[in-house]
Amino acid sequence: MWFTKSAAERRYLSRVLVSMAGYVLAIAGVSWMFAHRHPQGAAVYLLALLPALPIFAVIAILGIYLSEEKDEFVRTVLVKSSLWATGVVLAFATFWGFLQSYAPAINRTVNFPMYCVFIVWWVSFGLAEPLVRRTYK
Amino acid sequence: MKNRLRVLRAEKNWSQADLAERLEVSRQSVNAIETGKFDPSLPLAFTIARLFKCKIEDIFSP
Repeated sequence: MWFTKSAAERRYLSRVLVSMAGYVLAIAGVSWMFAHRHPQGAAVYLLALLPALPIFAVIAILGIYLSEEKDEFVRTVLVKSSLWATGVVLAFATFWGFLQSYAPAINRTVNFPMYCVFIVWWVSFGLAEPLVRRTYK
Repeated sequence: MKNRLRVLRAEKNWSQADLAERLEVSRQSVNAIETGKFDPSLPLAFTIARLFKCKIEDIFSP
């Protein structure tokens, strides 16, 4: 519940909410630009970078939360969960890369944009966190 | 690591939440330390020892 969260966790959640609002605005704006203004050249790269910036911010915000959280047990759970999530993403990306090399038909049947690894990381983190917590009960 | 935290807490008639509040950690932290599943850092062990007016080795043992 909100009132039981530490000050660091509340700051973390506020920062993530702001970043996610920025992400939604960036996605909407960039999509509109590509649909109506058809940018070319360097503008394409800059516009493609825009929705990634709030994602970079969320990664940094998690790092800031880890340094601000005073509860060492909570920090331990977060770090272990992050390592599990990172392991899952690395394993998945490696498998996917080999699949693209040895079974190129997968590229025609399944569209997996690379930015989805961020989602895979967070889903893995969300699944790992309660399991890591359970090991301490 | 074994510890007498649960006994010391019971002597004071504190709940895990009471102790967590005094240590400025979560209740889950206190539970994890009491069950011996999580070893506290040296600074936290000192804080616990100070709170119960004991030496660290009177609370924690390998």
